[in-house]
Amino acid sequence: MDKVAIELTVNGRARQALVAPRVLLSDFIRQQLALPGTHVGCEHGVCGSCNVLVNGVAVRSCLMFAVQLDGAELTTVEGFGGADTLHPIQEAFWEEHGLQCGFCTPGMLAAASELLAQTPDPTEAEIREAIAGNLCRCTGYQYIIEAIRSAARKLREARVETTEPV
Amino acid sequence: MSSHLKSNVIPPSRQREKPRAGLTWIGQSIKRVEDPRILTGKGGYIDDVVVAGMAQAAMVSSPHAHARIVSIDTSKAKEVPGVIGVYTGADLATVVDPCPSFASPPVPQHAMAIDKVRHVGEVVAAVVAEDRYIAEDAAALVEVEWEVLPANVDIEASLEATGDAVLHPDDRKSNCALDESFAFGPVEADFAAADRVITRRLRWNRSSAQAIETCGVVAQWDAFKGGYTIHANTNFYSFIPFVIGGSLRVSPGELKMIPVLTGGSFGSKVFIHKIIILTAGLARLAGVPVKYIEDRLEHFTNSDSHGSDRLYDCELAVMEDGSFKSMRFTVLDDYGAYLQFGVGTHGNAMAQVTGPYRIGSFGMRVIAVLTNKCQQGPYRGFGSEVTNWVMERMVDAAAEELGRDPLELREQNMIQPDEFPYMIPTGNIYDSGNFQEVLGQAREMFDLDTWRAKVRAARAEGRCVGVGVATCMERSVYGPTEWWSLNNRETPGFTLTSTPEGISARIDPSGKLFVTLNSCMVGNSPETVVTQILAERLTVDPADVVINYADSQTGFNGVGPQGSRFTAMVAGACVTASIRLEEKLKRFGAHMLQRRPEDVELRGGMVAVKGLKDQEKSFAEIALTSSFFRLSFPDGEEFDSGMETTAVYDHPLSTDPHPEREHLGIFYPIVGHICHMVAVEVDPETGKVEILDYAAVHDNGTIVNPRTLGGQVWGGTANGIGTTLSEQFVYDADGQFTNPNFAEFAMPTAHEMPTNFKLGHVETPSPYTEYGIKGGGEGGRLGAPSALTSAIEDALRDRGVKIAALPVTPPILRGLIRDADAAAVAAE
Amino acid sequence: MKPAAFEYHRPDDLPSALALLRAHEDASVLAGGQSLVPMMNYRLAQPDHLVDINRIDELDFIRAESAVIVIGALARHRTIQSSPLIAERLPMVAHAYEWIAHAAVRNRGTLCGNLCHADPASEMPALMQVLEAEMVLARADGTRRVPAVEFFTGTYETARAAGEMLTEVRIPTPPAGSGWGFEEVSMRKGDFAWAAVGCQLRIDNGALVDVRMAAAGVGDCALRLRGIEAALEGEPPSADLFAQAAHDAAEALDPPDTAAVSADYRRDLVRALAPRALTAAVARAE
Ligand SMILES: Cc1cc2nc3c(=O)[nH]c(=O)nc-3n(C[C@H](O)[C@H](O)[C@H](O)COP(=O)(O)OP(=O)(O)OC[C@H]3O[C@@H](n4cnc5c(N)ncnc54)[C@H](O)[C@@H]3O)c2cc1C
Ligand code: FES
Ligand code: FES
Repeated sequence: MDKVAIELTVNGRARQALVAPRVLLSDFIRQQLALPGTHVGCEHGVCGSCNVLVNGVAVRSCLMFAVQLDGAELTTVEGFGGADTLHPIQEAFWEEHGLQCGFCTPGMLAAASELLAQTPDPTEAEIREAIAGNLCRCTGYQYIIEAIRSAARKLREARVETTEPV
Repeated sequence: MSSHLKSNVIPPSRQREKPRAGLTWIGQSIKRVEDPRILTGKGGYIDDVVVAGMAQAAMVSSPHAHARIVSIDTSKAKEVPGVIGVYTGADLATVVDPCPSFASPPVPQHAMAIDKVRHVGEVVAAVVAEDRYIAEDAAALVEVEWEVLPANVDIEASLEATGDAVLHPDDRKSNCALDESFAFGPVEADFAAADRVITRRLRWNRSSAQAIETCGVVAQWDAFKGGYTIHANTNFYSFIPFVIGGSLRVSPGELKMIPVLTGGSFGSKVFIHKIIILTAGLARLAGVPVKYIEDRLEHFTNSDSHGSDRLYDCELAVMEDGSFKSMRFTVLDDYGAYLQFGVGTHGNAMAQVTGPYRIGSFGMRVIAVLTNKCQQGPYRGFGSEVTNWVMERMVDAAAEELGRDPLELREQNMIQPDEFPYMIPTGNIYDSGNFQEVLGQAREMFDLDTWRAKVRAARAEGRCVGVGVATCMERSVYGPTEWWSLNNRETPGFTLTSTPEGISARIDPSGKLFVTLNSCMVGNSPETVVTQILAERLTVDPADVVINYADSQTGFNGVGPQGSRFTAMVAGACVTASIRLEEKLKRFGAHMLQRRPEDVELRGGMVAVKGLKDQEKSFAEIALTSSFFRLSFPDGEEFDSGMETTAVYDHPLSTDPHPEREHLGIFYPIVGHICHMVAVEVDPETGKVEILDYAAVHDNGTIVNPRTLGGQVWGGTANGIGTTLSEQFVYDADGQFTNPNFAEFAMPTAHEMPTNFKLGHVETPSPYTEYGIKGGGEGGRLGAPSALTSAIEDALRDRGVKIAALPVTPPILRGLIRDADAAAVAAE
Repeated sequence: MKPAAFEYHRPDDLPSALALLRAHEDASVLAGGQSLVPMMNYRLAQPDHLVDINRIDELDFIRAESAVIVIGALARHRTIQSSPLIAERLPMVAHAYEWIAHAAVRNRGTLCGNLCHADPASEMPALMQVLEAEMVLARADGTRRVPAVEFFTGTYETARAAGEMLTEVRIPTPPAGSGWGFEEVSMRKGDFAWAAVGCQLRIDNGALVDVRMAAAGVGDCALRLRGIEAALEGEPPSADLFAQAAHDAAEALDPPDTAAVSADYRRDLVRALAPRALTAAVARAE
């Protein structure tokens, strides 16, 4: 089948690509965009390790085709922050030991960032619900939940700081 | 101590660093060294490895549990544009030999089936193509003609199979791979002297670790050098070349294994030698580098890592006063179609088979059964999780039959704090412990007395609420005799007795401490613990420790993260390295300070004169001078340039098995203890179990990093909750694996975990390891199944439900309740 | 697990989409992809043509037309779940969404795609029967309306013909004073149902009227539980009545019987869940 030309924004940068229609978004991200932070654990939509943000919304990248991203804004874990510029959610995961093998982590970060964008001060039940679609075999979730709670605090404080008159 | 143990003499301790208060880095929950790169998507997992000209492989797998391959037609597949080659088992056999096996005599296995398949998912052909999409297109076009054979699914029936139903008729007349009996101590006499024998038939069903990352390999064949370069997410990369070189027809010198960050193992990626051999062979046949990453379906059906699948007929000999005298069982274990590790999972269980209790003798008959399922491999506990559950089930059964409180009965039989080191009937020792303190803390955290009152009140309202207690052992730091000690004495196989761990360390001229590990990262925290221990021992800042990983040709045999051994073992290597570096630093530093080495000490990253301030040289200065200014030092070998050492640490405490297997020697002696208490409510109409409260107290000796240990306990407990309530591989009568996907093989999500989990620690240091560290990577799964099972049974006590098999999924539990209700009606 | 090749079409309006569906007999509609793409990854589905409807903005709506709520083909689970209109007018639907998949799946998946997929263990097909919704099926040369009870015909099978698209679902708002109940058991929250029941009823002079009940997971497609409805109609609510009616309904079912989840168990679940849903509905009815 003929390849299709698409244009999209990847972590804030405009990109163009030619993709075969059947190429899954997860493979496109990992192979064509060479962004290995998005992980593939099941390819049937259950584990959530492939979660990315498309137009700010968390989705399974193994259940979308790259062609569908034409015109879209894609954020992967690489768009959160680098080693010296960790995003507050990444910081919190680091401080709270919210990861062990780290394979589920990029998907967890996407789920957490969507939650915190909508619910700045989530209850524990809301946090559980937000990450219930992300399997982690290592942590038993507790420190992930604590990390998200701490990230919420960090983000709220950052917001207060920037809105307060100087 | 029974006389059969007299010959098993406990060697003296080789501990150099005593456990003590006031350590600087050991005991701190520092942030993990590993995390920044992982958090930013730059971890470097196997599927992230890209080498020039790399092609992708896809497999053609058996749809049948047991069948003869009549013919394979690859012609259509070969015509697909983009396909580089299509290969069958016969093709592969031109470049590789059968897989290695720890079983003795081995059960032969090929990386790709030849002539016959023995389980659903076994690979019969492979396509190498430009990309995985094309490879799968072509794989779908491979035509295989099958002659279906009878499938062995049931563990007992398989033992009786004959004719075409025998899996390996050329090697064995039946599907029994091993049948060995053992008596450790006066089992017969103890049973004869017992007041009562408690008998139970117990079943532990098959599941597996299912790390979120599957197994994968990138293999390159260098035709000029005649060797392989292989990336794989095996835990055992520095050991495995020795083991698989034979299969690959190369020497370890022609085989370079490069480690990658591994997305979870829990034992499941210990070896993965089959797909390494498979992918390497494909790379050689195709003449291009090949990447093969199992998809989830392949990982379920073909990854050689299924967990224990056992049927126990167990007896506990007790006295009327409640004291335990002896235990024995016959266990059938469904190992699947092959036997890669022999009955190592039963050897492992012998480390702590009698639990935390005083039991004078123990007997066992173990029968390894072959069936048409993927073979077993390790899964968090490596067989000990099952015997922990069996022991605790038997104690609960004894309490019930004796009319005793289950907790009191446990306390009565527990080994006392002054009895350590304590040798159990199999010969293994428990190095140290204080089970009573662990229990006491759990009791307090959980508030057992309040819970018991709540249970009474809820029962009065007709609700099914119950509490369960498990007091279990967590053996750590194995010696390798567990792999072969139960084998037939005439053919024990490769009787390995070393499983060392090593590091190399170097202080470079800038003062950084460069450390090279020989074991990979699987989600444990090797870089963090090594950093903490070296920072402690050498008084350096953790920020100055730089960690790298050796490949198989540059490192020593590391064994890596398995059997909860890495932290305690690598601590030994770190101490050895530190002693040597300290000695060197002092020698050079003293010279620079114009003092004698005995007059200086390490202080805050400096060599400093004892008792004097400001008389010091930083490690950086010393390393710089020693590296670049040879003439500043005397002309002797001991002042040769460089500040580096390679340190290998052998198992701190092991002995040989008795030649007649009167005991198995000491092989897993660094033993932790755990107590889990849980309250549940069962909905008797639906069989759903809700966890109301949970407390876990673990004693893993001296803790290096409380947070990383806490994470292990949590994670292991989550695994144990899944094992108990929701995870099971379900086969139909034809041997079809009916739920090999994440939708139906139900691993706990955040919703299934208890919301008010309380975690506690007791620290009883080991007298044998450095700083008294014990392992702690498996404990959650070693305790949760027992505690939960007890709690569920307690909740349904009034309805007479007995739990003799795991898992108890809601449909299974509802079935038990339905049957018990019907029996009660019939009895009226 | 990679999908087979297909030809990709991305129409911008409904007529073009319908024309494509007419032109390609074996085309599949790609809505949220949350059921179709897993099937394609497993190669259980290998459509030659995919008609991606995600850019057809006119299908992305939830609106009230007097006493009917109309939900378009592009309305996603998440939008429906959090819609104030749905919360007010169809609270059972909003509530049941808690049991359906997870956030990221609900972000993409659509109600119409869910109904067309017709998984026998899926909740919404049962609720649409309770609510007596109508499916609006459009094709290039016209539309037709099919009541929910006739739409679901078997496992992954519906009354939708080749070339037709489900453009909207029309759900009547329950009459004032109605009560509803929804109960489900699945292995984990968010999994497909082993059994789920939904019901709606009113109480008139102390008697149950307009009782409607349906179940998922207990047949080859979602089922209206007519037996329970008939047994309850006109009767005063009571625990015994509910238990007996649920028992009789369970006996009459022929649920899927698999190695992991037996038919007996699914019957037990109907016995357990139907009375709970009814009790909740009675409590909510005014
Ligand atoms: C992890 C996971 C858990 C889930 N759990 C649940 C659950 O608990 N309960 C549940 O009900 N569902 C569950 N789902 C499925 C989910 O609800 C899907 O969103 C839904 O079934 C399909 O909707 P979709 O828009 O994604 O449809 P698609 O996947 O795009 O399409 C599904 C099918 O319908 C056809 N189709 C789609 N839209 C139309 C249309 N407008 N007209 C004609 N044909 C159309 C497609 O061709 C395809 O055959 C789960 C999914 C996942 C991945
Ligand atoms: S890989 Fe996409 S959900 Fe598992
Ligand atoms: S950290 Fe390993 S799967 Fe979550």
